[in-house]
Amino acid sequence: MSSRGVTAAAVLTGLPDITHARLRALLRRWPDPVDALDAVARGATAGCFDPPVPAATRRDWHTFAADTRRTAAIGATVSARGTRALRAVDPAFPIDPELIPDHPAILLAEGKRYDALDAPRVAIVGTRAATPHGLDDARSLAADLVAEGVTVVSGLAIGIDAAAHQGALDAGGLTVGVVATGLDVEYPRRHRSLYAQVRASGLVLGESGFGIRPEPRRFPIRNRIIAALADITVVVEATARGGARITAEHAMRYGRDVFALPGSRRNPAAEGCNELIRDGAHPLLRNDDVLLRLGCTPGSRRRPTPAPARLPVDCDAARVLAAFAGEPATPDQLAHRSDLGVGAVALALCTLARDGWARSEGGHWWPT
Amino acid sequence: MLATLRSATLVGIDGRPVRVEVHVSTGLPAYHVVGLPDASGRESRERVRAALLSSELPWPMQRITVNLAPGGLRKTGAGFELAVAIGLLVAGEALPDSVVTDLGVLGELGLDGSVRRVPGVLALVDALRRAGVRRVIVPLANAAEAALVDDVEIWPARTLAELRACLEGEADWPAIPALPPPSPDRGDGADSEEPLDLADVRGLPTARLALAASAAGGHHLLLVGPPGTGKTMLARRLPTILPELTREAALEVTRIHSVAGHAPTHTLASTPPFRAPHHTASTAALVGGGSGRPSPGEVTLAHHGILFLDELGEFAPSTLDALRQPLEDGIVRIARQGMTLAFPARFVLVACTNPCPCGLGARACRCDRAQRSRYGRRLSAPLLDRFDLRLPVEPSELDEPPGVASAVTREQVMVAVERQRARLCGTSWSHNARIPAGALERFVPLSAAAAEAWLFLSGARELTGRGSARIRRVARTLADLDDRDEITATDLATAGVLRADIAVS
Repeated sequence: MSSRGVTAAAVLTGLPDITHARLRALLRRWPDPVDALDAVARGATAGCFDPPVPAATRRDWHTFAADTRRTAAIGATVSARGTRALRAVDPAFPIDPELIPDHPAILLAEGKRYDALDAPRVAIVGTRAATPHGLDDARSLAADLVAEGVTVVSGLAIGIDAAAHQGALDAGGLTVGVVATGLDVEYPRRHRSLYAQVRASGLVLGESGFGIRPEPRRFPIRNRIIAALADITVVVEATARGGARITAEHAMRYGRDVFALPGSRRNPAAEGCNELIRDGAHPLLRNDDVLLRLGCTPGSRRRPTPAPARLPVDCDAARVLAAFAGEPATPDQLAHRSDLGVGAVALALCTLARDGWARSEGGHWWPT
Repeated sequence: MLATLRSATLVGIDGRPVRVEVHVSTGLPAYHVVGLPDASGRESRERVRAALLSSELPWPMQRITVNLAPGGLRKTGAGFELAVAIGLLVAGEALPDSVVTDLGVLGELGLDGSVRRVPGVLALVDALRRAGVRRVIVPLANAAEAALVDDVEIWPARTLAELRACLEGEADWPAIPALPPPSPDRGDGADSEEPLDLADVRGLPTARLALAASAAGGHHLLLVGPPGTGKTMLARRLPTILPELTREAALEVTRIHSVAGHAPTHTLASTPPFRAPHHTASTAALVGGGSGRPSPGEVTLAHHGILFLDELGEFAPSTLDALRQPLEDGIVRIARQGMTLAFPARFVLVACTNPCPCGLGARACRCDRAQRSRYGRRLSAPLLDRFDLRLPVEPSELDEPPGVASAVTREQVMVAVERQRARLCGTSWSHNARIPAGALERFVPLSAAAAEAWLFLSGARELTGRGSARIRRVARTLADLDDRDEITATDLATAGVLRADIAVS
C-alpha cells in the first residue's frame, strides 16, 4: 500500500471511539483507506453504519480527520517507523474475513519478517502471574514449535506471553506479537527490548492507532486477534478469570483447536487451564501434540537435542527427587517427605541442582 | 566558702566526670546554676532547698552559685542534686571540708530529703573510677548496680539526714543489698506467663537448624513464609536457646539498659537482650537519636543480643536501610551539633517476612506483578545480602512429630559456643559470623576433600566471593553444633541450602 494509504489507515485506526465494527463498515463502503478518510473528513459517512454512529461522534471524527497537521505528523511517524498497514480486503491478509466475522479491518504492522505470517501459526498465551514451571513450559513449547517452522503468536505481556516470545527468539524462530495499544506505545515498558527483538525476528501487529494508551477494555478485544491469527491456541497457565481464557474462548468460537496444559488443582495458575479442558480443550500432554494437530511430522526439522542429564543414581538424591512429587517444595517439606535429615537433603539438593534435576528459585526448590 | 565534689553525667551511653562547685558568699539570697544544665538541673533549687529543710539541715540565706565543670559540656538529668546539697552543707560549715575530698556523689533528691535513683549508674560510676575517684555515694536503689564496678567503694544513701550522719561518722553506712537473681523469664517479657519452648513448634527441621546456627554463630537470619507457618513462633523462642552472656558482655548490656532506664535495672543482665520493635518504629527509635540528648535505639538495646523484626516487609524502607551501617560496623554514630556519639550495636538480626503482600507466596500468590515488585523493593538487595541464613518456611504437615525441646537445642548451642570461644580467643571477633573474609583461611580451614566436594557440588552455581565466605562461616557453625573440628561437604551443602536465593517477590 502507498505511504498515503498507510497514513490514512493510521489516522482511521486512531479516530476517537472507532471500533473494529465501525471501521469494517467504513472500509466496506470505501475499500481504500484514503477514500475512507476523505469521506470521514467530508462528514459523508452518515448512512453506512448499522447501528448508526451518533452525530456527535461523527463530528469528532470530522474534526480529527480534517486536521491536516495531525495527518502530516502521523505520516511522518509512519515513514520514520516503517509502519505498514494490512487490509482485510487484501488477499494476503493473515485472517480470513469469511471465517472470522469480527476480524480487524486494518492491522498496522511493524517488523522485519513479514514471512512470519506465511508459516503455520500457533498462539501461546497465559497468565501474567506465571509460575517458574509455566514459564519453562511456554519457553520449551515455543522452541519446539519454531524448530518445525511454526510462527509463535502471543501478546507481548508479562509472564507466559513473554516466555513464549523469548523461547521462539532464543531458538532462532519467528514470532508475532499482537498488542492492544498503539504500536509506538510499547506497553509494558519493561518489555521494550523484547519489542525490539520481536520486530527484528518477526512482527508486531495491532489494530489501534499511534499513541493509544493501554486501557483494560482493549485487551480482551485484542485477544480475539491472537485467536484469529493462530491455527491453534495453546493456553499454558491461566487463572480462572484471566485474559488467556478469553483468547481460548474466542478460538473455540472461531472453531479453532485449543490446547491447555493440565495442572494441579492446588495451583491457582492452572485453574483456568483445567476448566478449559473440562469445557472441551485438548489437554496438552506433550509438545508434539500441537505439531501433530497442525499436520507436521514432529522431529523432521528438529535439531538433535542434547542427551538428557543422567539419572540420579545416588539413593538420597532419588528419594528427594521423588519427594517433590512434581511440585515446588521447601527443604523442610522434602526432609519430612523423604524421611531424611537436613544435611542429607541439602547434599541431595546440591547434587540434583548440579545435574539439572532441580533448581532453587525464590527460596523454593523446583523439580525441572 | 567553696566546696568541690565529683559527679558525672551521661553523654550517649557513656559517663563523663563532672566537678560540682558550690560557692556561698555574702549578698542577696539567690541561687544560680551555671555550666549548661538542662531544665531539670535548673529546677534543682526547689528540690535541694526543700530536701535540706525537711531534713532539718540549714539552707544558707546567702548568694549561692553552683558551677558544673567542664563548662562546655551539656549536662543532663537531676543527678547532681545530692552533690549540690552536700556541697551546701560543707560550704555552710555543717560538714567538715575533709569528708568530701575526692568524693563522688550521684543522686536525685525528693522534697522529703530522700535520695532517689538515677539512670545509668553503672556508666556514671565507671566514669568516676576512670577519673580517679575511689569512693562514690549512690542512691541505695542503685547501690547493687554500682557495686558491679570494681575498685570503687560504694556508699549507699537512703536519706539526706542519714547520709550526713554517716559522713560525720555518727552512723554506719547501710548495707549494699545483694544483686537480685536474674529474672526467670527468658522471653521478651511480652507473654512470659507460659514459658516458651521450641517443642511447641512442629516440624520445620531446617528452620530449627538455622535458628540454632543463628544463636550459636551470630548469623543474621531471615525467615520467609506465608502467615501461620510458625516462623514468628520459632523466632520468639530464640531466647530459650541463647547462651548466657559473658561477664564482660553482661556489664555492657546492663550499662546500656540502665542508661535507657528500663529492665533489667538493678540487676546484672545474664541473658542476651531480645528486642522486638513493632514495624511502625521510626528510624530514630530503631537506630537511636532523637532531639536533645540522643538516646540509644533498639539496635543498641539489642547489643550482644537479638534484634527481632517481625513483618520485615512492613518496615519503612528508609528505616531498614538505616540498619545497614550498624549491621556492618557494629556501631551507630549519631552526629549532633558539636558532638558525635557512638552507640555500640553488635546484634544478631532475626527477621520474618511474608513473601508478598497477600502472604501466600510461591504457587498460591494472588498478588499482581506490580504489587509484588513494590513489596520486594522494600527489602534492598544489600540488606538481603547481610543475612547469612535465609530460608522459606511453609506450613508443616500434620503428621510431623513435635519438635526437639529448647533444653536439648540449647545444650548443642552451648557446645558450639564453647568451641567458637576457644577458636576466636584472643581475637576481637565474638562469633563465627564476624570472622572477616581475609581470616577465613586461618580460622575456618577447609580440608582438601571438603573443598573439592564443594566445588564439585556447587558446580555451575555461581557464588560471589562474598556469598561463599558466608556459606563457609555458616558451615563452620554447623560443624560446631555437631561438635566436630572437620567441616564436611554436607556442612557446606547445608549452609548453601540455608542461604536460599530469596528475592522477596
